[in-house]
Amino acid sequence: MTPRWRLLLLALALLVLAPAVLRVALTLPAFGAPTAALGQTVNALAPELRHVANMVAAVNFDLRGIDTLGEECMLLCAVTGATVLLRGARGEHDTARAGRLPGRPVTPRADATVLVCRIFATLTLMVGLSVALHGMTTPGGGFQGGVIAASGLLLLYLGEGYAGWRALVPPPVLVALEGGGALLFVLCAGLPLLAGHPALQNRLPLGEFRDLYSGGLMVLVNAAVALSVAGSFGLLLVEFLEETREAGDDPISDEEDR
Amino acid sequence: MSLSETLLPVAVLLPLGAATLMLALAHWLPPRLPKIVAIFVALAVCAICLGLAHASLDGPVRHWFGGWTPDAAHRPGVVLGIGFQADPASAALAAFCGLMFSASFVFAWGYFDTEHAHFHVLMLLFLAAMVGFCLTRDLFNLFVWFELMSIAAFALTAYPLGRSALEGAFTFTVTNALASFLMLAGTGLLYARTGTFDFATMGEAVARTGSDPVLTGGFVLVAAALLTKAAILPFHLWLADAHAVAPSPVSVIFSGAMVSLGLFGLAKLVAQVFSGSADVTGLVHGLLHGLGLATALVAGVMAFAQRHLKRLLAFSTISHLGIMLTALSAGTDTATAGLLLYILGHGLTKGALFMVAGTLLSLRQSADEIVLYGQGRGLWAPALAMIGGGLLLGGLPLGLMHGATGLIERSASAPAQAITTLATALTGAAILRAAARIFLRASGVPGPELLAPTEREHEKPDRPVWLMAFPALALVALALVPPGAALPFLGAATARLHDPSAPPLALPEGGSVNLVPLGLTAALFALALLRRRALHRPARAVTRAERAGFRALQALHSGLVGDYVTWMAVGLALFALASAL
Repeated sequence: MTPRWRLLLLALALLVLAPAVLRVALTLPAFGAPTAALGQTVNALAPELRHVANMVAAVNFDLRGIDTLGEECMLLCAVTGATVLLRGARGEHDTARAGRLPGRPVTPRADATVLVCRIFATLTLMVGLSVALHGMTTPGGGFQGGVIAASGLLLLYLGEGYAGWRALVPPPVLVALEGGGALLFVLCAGLPLLAGHPALQNRLPLGEFRDLYSGGLMVLVNAAVALSVAGSFGLLLVEFLEETREAGDDPISDEEDR
Repeated sequence: MSLSETLLPVAVLLPLGAATLMLALAHWLPPRLPKIVAIFVALAVCAICLGLAHASLDGPVRHWFGGWTPDAAHRPGVVLGIGFQADPASAALAAFCGLMFSASFVFAWGYFDTEHAHFHVLMLLFLAAMVGFCLTRDLFNLFVWFELMSIAAFALTAYPLGRSALEGAFTFTVTNALASFLMLAGTGLLYARTGTFDFATMGEAVARTGSDPVLTGGFVLVAAALLTKAAILPFHLWLADAHAVAPSPVSVIFSGAMVSLGLFGLAKLVAQVFSGSADVTGLVHGLLHGLGLATALVAGVMAFAQRHLKRLLAFSTISHLGIMLTALSAGTDTATAGLLLYILGHGLTKGALFMVAGTLLSLRQSADEIVLYGQGRGLWAPALAMIGGGLLLGGLPLGLMHGATGLIERSASAPAQAITTLATALTGAAILRAAARIFLRASGVPGPELLAPTEREHEKPDRPVWLMAFPALALVALALVPPGAALPFLGAATARLHDPSAPPLALPEGGSVNLVPLGLTAALFALALLRRRALHRPARAVTRAERAGFRALQALHSGLVGDYVTWMAVGLALFALASAL
């Protein structure tokens, strides 16, 4: 199909679709009009039943916790896939050392840059921890906190350069964090079964409403998600920033021998 | 809780736990351990799900995560938590997935030696997603497993890292990620109208609402996503590209189990959620039936015109998915029973055939039937598996697929039967033709398959031939099991798919032996082998016309992702037209 024909066909299809989309959009419940019964029920019941102030956490880590486990594994799966694909082209065995292109200049960093990066990386890590820890009381939680903590690693990269950075955060440790966090989640789901309760049942003491450690099992699941997400994003950064390729360089041959 | 209720979530948690544990320790594990663990985990999942299938004959097995049962909220129609529910059909399919994975792990022994357990981590996540997809009774949860399945599949497709693998994985990723968006949007629409994600509660709400554009729109979006996964025309274009380039052990899973799960998901949704909606049942009986027939025919012709073995098998998978969709759209109980049996029979056969292709790739460094001409001598076990598989696909009156076809054809109209028979024969003859060329040095002059795309590639020759042939032959042997033994279970499975408390259905005992498909297969096979160079003017004209036709059909399967997305939009437009009429 030539691009012209493709566009024509697409336009035709969209033309046919437009009235259907309009019809559905106009019969949808009006914006904000009748609030969903499910959401209202969660708002009404969760503070009492689970002692948490953050309803999103209650839904994510307790009511629909198995969804979150699936999503967590999705992230882990995507990162593992990206790792395999990125490492594949340069061989997997060299992961202990930082790979680099011979002859590529290493830009020296100013002392001020290094200092500022170290300070702010620490602060970012603290913010991440705080967001993760306050998951039961304020918006945020393990996923967001984990992403923030991992993004602090970028500042370290800016300050220390790739090799130094990588020595500071070795990939096997990140992988262990990633897999271990997810494993902790699986255990949180599976261990209640041994005692004859449903999977993921919240049997731990629930704590005080609005307390940092309220929510029972949710605190543990939250921590598991934080660890796993921090590990995943950290690993993704380490793999993406490996300095083994030049721009416009195409090391993948047709006959890759795997 | 009873034992089976406790084991229900374990079927998903076990592979997830094994995968995450292996990932966490990936750096320190001895290289053999992940392979052994993976085989045992897959077998354990298979055993657990078989147990569940057996237990669910006495009534559905349910498990509510976190103990959030539907009455936890004390408000009718509000389901706070997520439930898993094993009915006989779902549990049996999940067990089938476990079986296919264990066969594939045995087949892949040694293939992924250099990797740090990553292959097995991805595969176990893939398995967990498929089992979750079968067992869940929550629409959003279904989406989560659908998405996990897609992401694992993207990574596994690109695993060989050659140019064609990356291209195939790219089109796969774009089209199936779009499908995920559609599914999410459809789930949103359905939730907006029904206020719940739970299948049973949603079904009640749908029956109460009656005709409503939002419900129909939601169904269309979810169905389009599932049909993309199940590679139904015009959403099918990604499949041949992806299945042809993925590592063979992964293609076994893709063609054997993943794609047909898309159809199973659709069948389950239609039966449990949308049975009360006249609009949706109209779409299923009308448009989906037509799409199924078109898919069967077009992909059957495409399969016949391929020379690259994995591409040929991929197109034959699409064609058989079309046949399965006609069974789904017929909607009668016997046809549904046929669909379930067909998924098993076809999956076993196709898995074995992809294993043969993988064996040839690793021992003879090619999967091109013309390059491989006569190269398969001495490989009698793969030859046996391939000929057996080809005959089974081509309508051999034995085994699960034949029983399934008999059940499906009971409610099919004569023209529909003619089309599915032709499609069956085309795919069977294509496989037999390739087998004859490779293993028996028998060949006529190549016809339109000479024009088909092919690829120079190979896989690592690192394991003995018996290790690769054994799982293939075992799968073929399983596909040859007489279907009569499965009929009582199938009757219960079919009835309970729709209504968990329904009494088992009495299915008609094996119908007459139908030799027409096999005869047609033999005729097409003979036609391919007796083909001679066109010397006379009329023969040349015929060949030219034939080439032009096939070239046009090949051009539609261009490999360009822009084209594929355009065709997906056309597919959605077809749904819009059909639901407006």
